[in-house]
Amino acid sequence: MTATRTDVEPGPPRELLYRRRVGLVAAARELWASRELVWTLAERDYLARYKQAVLGFGWALFTPVALMVVFTVFFRRVADVDTGGAPYPLFSYLGLLPWTFFSTSISQGGLSLITNKMLLNKVYCPREVFPVSSVVVAGIDTAIALLALGALFVIYGFVPRLTSVWVPVLLLIQVTFTTSVALISSAVVVHLRDIRHALPILLQLGLFATPVAYGIDTIPAHLRGLYSVLNPLAPVIDGYRRTVLLGQQPAWDLVGLGGASSVVLLLVGYRLFKRLETGLADVA
Amino acid sequence: MLPEGAISARHVWKRFRADRSKRDLRDSMRRLKAQLGGRRTPWTWALQDVTLDVEPGDSVALLGPNGSGKSTLLKILTRVMYPYAGSVDVSGRVGALIEVRAGLHPELSGRENVYLYGTLLGLRRREVAKRFDDIIEFAELQQAVDRQVKFYSSGMQMRLGFAVAAFLEPHVLLVDEILAVGDASFQHRCTERMHEVLAQGTTLVFVSHDLAAVEATCRRGLWLQNGVVQADGPLAGVMGGYREWIDASAASGGTMDGIVRLRRTTVAPPRRDEVPRSHGPLDVELSIESPESTPATVCVGITEGTAAPIILLERQLHLAEGRTDVRCSIASLPLPRGRFYVWVVAYDVKRTLLPWQPAGSFDVVGPDLDRSPHGIVQLAPVHVETTWDEDRGDAIPSAPVRRLGSSRG
Repeated sequence: MTATRTDVEPGPPRELLYRRRVGLVAAARELWASRELVWTLAERDYLARYKQAVLGFGWALFTPVALMVVFTVFFRRVADVDTGGAPYPLFSYLGLLPWTFFSTSISQGGLSLITNKMLLNKVYCPREVFPVSSVVVAGIDTAIALLALGALFVIYGFVPRLTSVWVPVLLLIQVTFTTSVALISSAVVVHLRDIRHALPILLQLGLFATPVAYGIDTIPAHLRGLYSVLNPLAPVIDGYRRTVLLGQQPAWDLVGLGGASSVVLLLVGYRLFKRLETGLADVA
Repeated sequence: MLPEGAISARHVWKRFRADRSKRDLRDSMRRLKAQLGGRRTPWTWALQDVTLDVEPGDSVALLGPNGSGKSTLLKILTRVMYPYAGSVDVSGRVGALIEVRAGLHPELSGRENVYLYGTLLGLRRREVAKRFDDIIEFAELQQAVDRQVKFYSSGMQMRLGFAVAAFLEPHVLLVDEILAVGDASFQHRCTERMHEVLAQGTTLVFVSHDLAAVEATCRRGLWLQNGVVQADGPLAGVMGGYREWIDASAASGGTMDGIVRLRRTTVAPPRRDEVPRSHGPLDVELSIESPESTPATVCVGITEGTAAPIILLERQLHLAEGRTDVRCSIASLPLPRGRFYVWVVAYDVKRTLLPWQPAGSFDVVGPDLDRSPHGIVQLAPVHVETTWDEDRGDAIPSAPVRRLGSSRG
């Protein structure tokens, strides 16, 4: 047979070429229809982790609390952080919660398509369920880590301010941004495998590029707008501190920039994901 | 709009990279450089202009040797893969019976896995709950349902996966070689279940090397050869052509060449006017052509069709340059009635000389195996000649007879 010659191929006529067009609305609708699958996958990852680890759910608390202790003991010695009068452990923990959510989502979600490649090759489902369920798992972790926040409030005799009502708005931006990055990184990692080794380092750098241990005031005022566009977590974290600890409004201009940038990133990222998705089973 | 359960795949083309290099940044750079230099990346066609229209309720077998594009076509119908050109439309709920261990998580219990796997296959949790008892009963896992799946035997895992899929109630069912594993009694129930599903009007696309199972199940055949449709029509005709091709290619030697070539395989009893019988003699004769003089380990396996052998017979020998004839004589064949396949591999210290491949088949005349009791998985169909004695002493009226057998899980 000469059918599998590889040099000069006859090939299909041009007008037959398969074009997969998925509108974002149709994709989102399909994802919504698969919400039970997202939940089941998240549950699977959670149960599996819980059964393997002695500490179980305790791990969700361990990472942010350990970092908070490290920051409190060391970071404050070398850099004089202006917390606006709030206790530093509370100040840094409020930054660590969204950061840990983000970094867990990306480190798990970024590899989610690779770790599930057996399934990708066998079962059809909208592929974004894998990174999205990683974000859900990170969300459950964060909910558990909130316990330590409550403990800190008690220890320092500190009561959250009334302006905390703005937290859901900030949370929405945080989730939007995190989901976009998880989608993009997961699809890119499948096509360019060596990125996976760079992910942990990028996340390490991200911890210092984000106002977790320090405040956003460290950034010169005229650069804060650009900073918020590039790193929407910055105005979000700053917003948590202002509303919960200081009884202020969030810096709405920066939050707006960060929010807009997150939404754009989600649209671009989702589109990119859907485009790369077509070739997933060929390369995974 | 297609009616539910219909398949329409028109002029489907699919290609893969011929170089199969890893997908990382370094390779992408190299590829980019090659493209800028005007060289085109080489592609191999897996499917060329394949058209398959199936009416609701019809049953189609995809026939063809390994690498002919059957699984690729099935993956495209499942929407796991996308075609390079052409259009694919499958309407209604699509259920795919896949290699099941992919969907199971070893750390979770059987119960949790049923939900996980059901949701993966597109059921709602409510629907899984409704079918849960049926699924567990079909898989015969009532006792093990809350045990972690990593403590299941491979047979139990297989049953669990298939049972979930068997209760999907899809409009279109795609089956890829699923029945090739598992014990005979479970295979039998799977086939029965598949016929039940067919009777309800489900459309079936079936890939299997088990031609007997195909004949018992399908009405229509599509024969693929190197990604091109060779024949399409009523099963009997297509199957006839395919069988002729198998015989012709078997006569011209092995289908896959390694460093050495399998010129001819003969599987027959030493007296050529006889047929293979249980506990009778059988000779496997291989004619191997080698381009060089080399020591080699030749290994003959007898399987039920899949790559996993029941019996492995190995021999160190020396292949001469040119042709070497090897005969392996089995004095007594421990197999029950049925069709079996001879697989062959040859290797030396550092290389595979001939890849593991099917080289021939034979039918054994003899007794059937005893049916295994519920919940006991028989791994390999080996027939052992036995006599039983029952010694009923007067003092103990019901002396138990010890049964020999292996049960797992």
